Amino acid sequence: MISCIINGKKRSFDIEPTRRLRDMLLMNGNFAVRDSDDAEGFCGSDTVLLDGTPVFSNLVLAGEVEGCEIRTPDSLGNSMNLTVVQQALVDAGVVQSAYNAPAAALLMTWLFENNPSPTREEVKDVLSGIFIRDAGYEHYYLAAELIKEKLAGGEYKTEIAPEFRPNLRAVGKVMPKIDAPQLVSGERAFVEDYVDDDTCYMVVLRSPYACAYVNKIDTSKAEALPGVVKIITAYNCPDVTYMSAGQGNPEPSPHDRKLLNKKVRHVGDRVAAVIAETLEEAIRARDLIEVEYEPLGAVFTVEEAMAEGAPLVHNGIVEYRAGAPDDLEEYNSKAGDEREGKVVYQFPLHGDIRHNIAAANHGFIGDVDKAFAEADAVVEATYQTSQIQHTPLETHICFSKLENGRLIIYASTQVPYHVRRIVSWVTGLSENKIHVIKTRVGGGYGSKQDILVEDLTAYATFATGRPVLYHNTREEEFIANSTRHPMRVHVKMGGKKDGSITGIYLKVDANTGPYGNHALTVPMNSCSKTLPLFKCDNMKYDLTIYYTNTPPAGAYQGYGTPKGTYGLMMAMCELADKLGVDYKEMVLKNHVEEGYMLEILKGLGEGREGNVVPVGSCGLREAVEKGCEMIEWGKREESDDPDWKIGKGFAMIMQGSGLPGLDHANAICKLEMDGSIIVTSGAADIGTGLDTIIAKVTSDILCIPIDKITVISGDTDSGAFDTGSYASSGTFFSGNAAVVAASNLRKKIIEEAAYQSCEDAEDFELEWPGKVVSRKTGKVLTFYEIIHTSTSGTGRGHLIAPGSFTTAASSVPYGAHFAQVAVNVRTGEIKVQKFYAIQDAGTPINPEAALCQMYGASLKSIGHTLYEDMILDKDGRCVNANMTDYGVPMISEQPDDFKAVLIDVNDDHGPFGAKSISEIACNGAAPAIGNAIHDACGVWMRSWPMTPEKLLRELGKIK
Amino acid sequence: MYDIKALYEAESVQDAIRLLQEHPEAQVLAGGSDVLVQIREGRRAGVELVSIYMLDELRGVTIDEDENIRIGSLTSFSHITNDPIIQKYINVLGEAVDMVGGPQIRAIGTIGGNTCNGVTSADSASTLMAWDAIIEITGPEGVRRVPIRDFYIKAKVVDLRPAEIQTAILIPKESYDRCFGHYIKYSMRNALDIATTGCSVNVRLSEDRKTIERVRIGYGVAAPVPVRAYTAEEFLNGKEITDANIKEFAETVLNDINPRDSWRAGKALRRHISVVMAERALRESISLAGGVVNG
Repeated sequence: MISCIINGKKRSFDIEPTRRLRDMLLMNGNFAVRDSDDAEGFCGSDTVLLDGTPVFSNLVLAGEVEGCEIRTPDSLGNSMNLTVVQQALVDAGVVQSAYNAPAAALLMTWLFENNPSPTREEVKDVLSGIFIRDAGYEHYYLAAELIKEKLAGGEYKTEIAPEFRPNLRAVGKVMPKIDAPQLVSGERAFVEDYVDDDTCYMVVLRSPYACAYVNKIDTSKAEALPGVVKIITAYNCPDVTYMSAGQGNPEPSPHDRKLLNKKVRHVGDRVAAVIAETLEEAIRARDLIEVEYEPLGAVFTVEEAMAEGAPLVHNGIVEYRAGAPDDLEEYNSKAGDEREGKVVYQFPLHGDIRHNIAAANHGFIGDVDKAFAEADAVVEATYQTSQIQHTPLETHICFSKLENGRLIIYASTQVPYHVRRIVSWVTGLSENKIHVIKTRVGGGYGSKQDILVEDLTAYATFATGRPVLYHNTREEEFIANSTRHPMRVHVKMGGKKDGSITGIYLKVDANTGPYGNHALTVPMNSCSKTLPLFKCDNMKYDLTIYYTNTPPAGAYQGYGTPKGTYGLMMAMCELADKLGVDYKEMVLKNHVEEGYMLEILKGLGEGREGNVVPVGSCGLREAVEKGCEMIEWGKREESDDPDWKIGKGFAMIMQGSGLPGLDHANAICKLEMDGSIIVTSGAADIGTGLDTIIAKVTSDILCIPIDKITVISGDTDSGAFDTGSYASSGTFFSGNAAVVAASNLRKKIIEEAAYQSCEDAEDFELEWPGKVVSRKTGKVLTFYEIIHTSTSGTGRGHLIAPGSFTTAASSVPYGAHFAQVAVNVRTGEIKVQKFYAIQDAGTPINPEAALCQMYGASLKSIGHTLYEDMILDKDGRCVNANMTDYGVPMISEQPDDFKAVLIDVNDDHGPFGAKSISEIACNGAAPAIGNAIHDACGVWMRSWPMTPEKLLRELGKIK
Repeated sequence: MYDIKALYEAESVQDAIRLLQEHPEAQVLAGGSDVLVQIREGRRAGVELVSIYMLDELRGVTIDEDENIRIGSLTSFSHITNDPIIQKYINVLGEAVDMVGGPQIRAIGTIGGNTCNGVTSADSASTLMAWDAIIEITGPEGVRRVPIRDFYIKAKVVDLRPAEIQTAILIPKESYDRCFGHYIKYSMRNALDIATTGCSVNVRLSEDRKTIERVRIGYGVAAPVPVRAYTAEEFLNGKEITDANIKEFAETVLNDINPRDSWRAGKALRRHISVVMAERALRESISLAGGVVNG
């Protein structure tokens, strides 16, 4: 028995002293003590106070806490009654995906209990043990100020964020994210909080080889173990070929895998899934499975993949659902045996798997060769990006069960409807038999746009009839999940002495890893979201996407854009340098502006012809001018220490707001019996505040306070179809669907009021809060009165309005990111002193959340630029598949002077003029920092990460 | 869930020794920030643990009757950083262990654990080497004291015999008196990162502060175990503080270190950085000691 005091109450536990303190706290119901599976002491999600001192509860044994006093995050206020600290975190906008927000609240509480007026350094020190990937740390400093003000005088004095659209009550206003109180107080929110008691655990046996046939699997010893329920292998799983990307159907990605394959294609690939009564039994059984592998040659880089006679990652039969080439039969005569599986293109993507090519695309406008010939200077260089992991605090997880003859799936996903479709394919169940419930999502960043665990977990339940929980380890996040595609971006750019760009050529060779999810579209974005920044008549691109045996690649915030932007903006800076033109002047001379017709988009659809559209709302020039003014462009900074050289750089950036012509969103707006509103949306809020956006637009359209609106989303039973949260579509598509639904309900309410009053509908208008007023007679009906009458036995029924949104319009967010770096030319250290993210997001509906997302994405991409890199050994094993060794930026890496600024632009198509905000913020750091490094010390850093070692080599200091 | 066979809670140092004698395969558990991470990684499967974490007698910093600074082995990083004795006499050690990062680790990580893991990158290692720390070990045969340079045997192996535990780290008066030092951790990131190379220098200057009476320089990650650069020290001892001497001292460290290539950093980088750090840490130490560079 272990006795201790937890949150002021005496508790005794019958638990092995060798269990972790966290296990004991879970037994006690303190589930807000989370586990980011970093039991190396990194993320801080498991932080508790032990005798008044913060510790990682995964690094303390239960046996060590006898007689101790423990405080957990859920001991602070609950969602109806937040403490000052919790409320300040909510108000500052940092409670986003929030997996460790309760732990952060506990640390901040501890800080303020010991020191009511902490300095910025003290705040930094306390937060140095917690990893925040979504919102960055800047607004934690702001929250600290708010707490101080509240404790001192009872009121906030500091401005949290600028507000927009004074004519509106909710849109553009600083207002708590509607799910933030629940999240910060650590109430039930994530998949792990909904797991039933009788649940089985699933673990996956993973390939030790980068490429091998699985010739035989002997599971007899494993199956003989008590507790083992089932083992699934390539030899007993459904013969269904699909792929993991959650994209619109039919997908622009080759279907090239089954649940489990007879050929494993990367270290970490699925070999067998073990379902057992307990996790320990599942692991023990996994270790007893005997596999006969036939190792094969492997390729890890695009150079290796394209080499003559290279081992083939896929060499099965190729099929086309549409547009099969004439010589397909001959092509397939060269296929390997059935162990290779097959590759099914939904429509042609110009792949050639017999040369490791998953997809390709080419296009041009004008004549680049002529443009280069006429240029005064031409630059040409190759830029290499690295393999980067999303590192969400909540690793991938899925819980599934059968209920009432249906398959129920609790998923941490960006794409509930795509999850349902793919599970339907794998199990053969029709979609009405599958219910996907998206819980809160503890960090997505694109990695939860792929169906990486739901397919196998749901199938395990389908095959066994048992509730099944699957939860990735941190190592599996790295080796068996998805990552940013490594890309080789070759840029050729020509310009005139007056600074005009005559031609741009972009050749992108991308590494999609072993499977083709997002194979075409991620690399495509490196062209389609970069070339349209330039007013240039001669542009050409060649994209080739290679299969390799690295850990898989997939969607990652920014998609392919950060890589294209890196190459193009650095080449442009180099060209300016060569021409003797100021880079800023060159940017101003060549960037697009409203109305410019984007001919280049013709070839850049997602596997089909793209829409040629003019540039719409565009705050690009303002962003560049504003940033240059803030960073004092052109002024040289000197350090007191001659070893430190200081330089400045910036980059233009753009993204999209969803995929016009492909994305689709729906919402249903319902007037409830007391006049309050429930909006059911197909949207998948992954912590970004999408539910709040839906509530806010509904509030402004229906003239009703936000606390009278509830948003239910991400549930495939109650909502209507939505393609999901990816491609920056949330605000634009799901937000617009809510606008349509609310507007339809508004119309119905007015019509009903007119009917009930025997007046004309055109004489009525809505009035705050929740009333309908006749301009003609002055009659006032409250929403309550209207719905009460309409749902009485003699009324016309419930007022419900659906709203559907699709569009051909393209609303592009623009911006510019600026960096000032200090480079130590002796030690190679690179310090980002200043970073300014200036963005045109149209109308920022949640301004404080918008700023936090800009900070979070900027810091993350500073990490991609300077530190993050998955390193593979010669056999394709990732040698740094944990948080400490992989190296993400934390509070100490944040620039001292960090600013996010929103440019006020109103868009014609977005909901209340809003465009997307978060994804674009990943695009600028690499070229801004790269150009600043050149400005500081004269070298061009042409590969990620830009390490001291590479810098010193470029400077000739080491060999 | 950790694969641990048993956890024995020691009630005194003698009790810990007895438990270790009864369970010769057992591993000592202090704060747990290293050992539990290793267990989680699957190393040491089925291990038995003898926890000494409750032994408050091993906590704290004092000055003993011989004027040694005595740091109990269970003293946490945060305690060391904030301790007035450390701040007065060997502040650089407090700064070094503060770089471990994160209040949660600093509260639980101990100076004893940081040395007993035998890891060359440990943040305290190069500083304790540079200050000629003495390791106090208590075992079945009583107490013995070992200079830290002999305590480190090879990578991850230290001079702890069966049933022995480290009970204190001592800094002799002769080692800290009138000494001023500086530590540089060279790592890719600031917090929660492993040092690419660590360098700790301290000096004692002549009365007129123009001559280096004694310099000591220790490195982490410059060899499989923390090392001193004795050739460089010998070169500079008794020499005048001049730019040329400082530079030659820094270059000379290459005779004493032997860093290797790893995925974290290449040998060339580590060699280059070791020289740069030697110079920077020396200059800072001289400046802390009130010395000035003459020509």
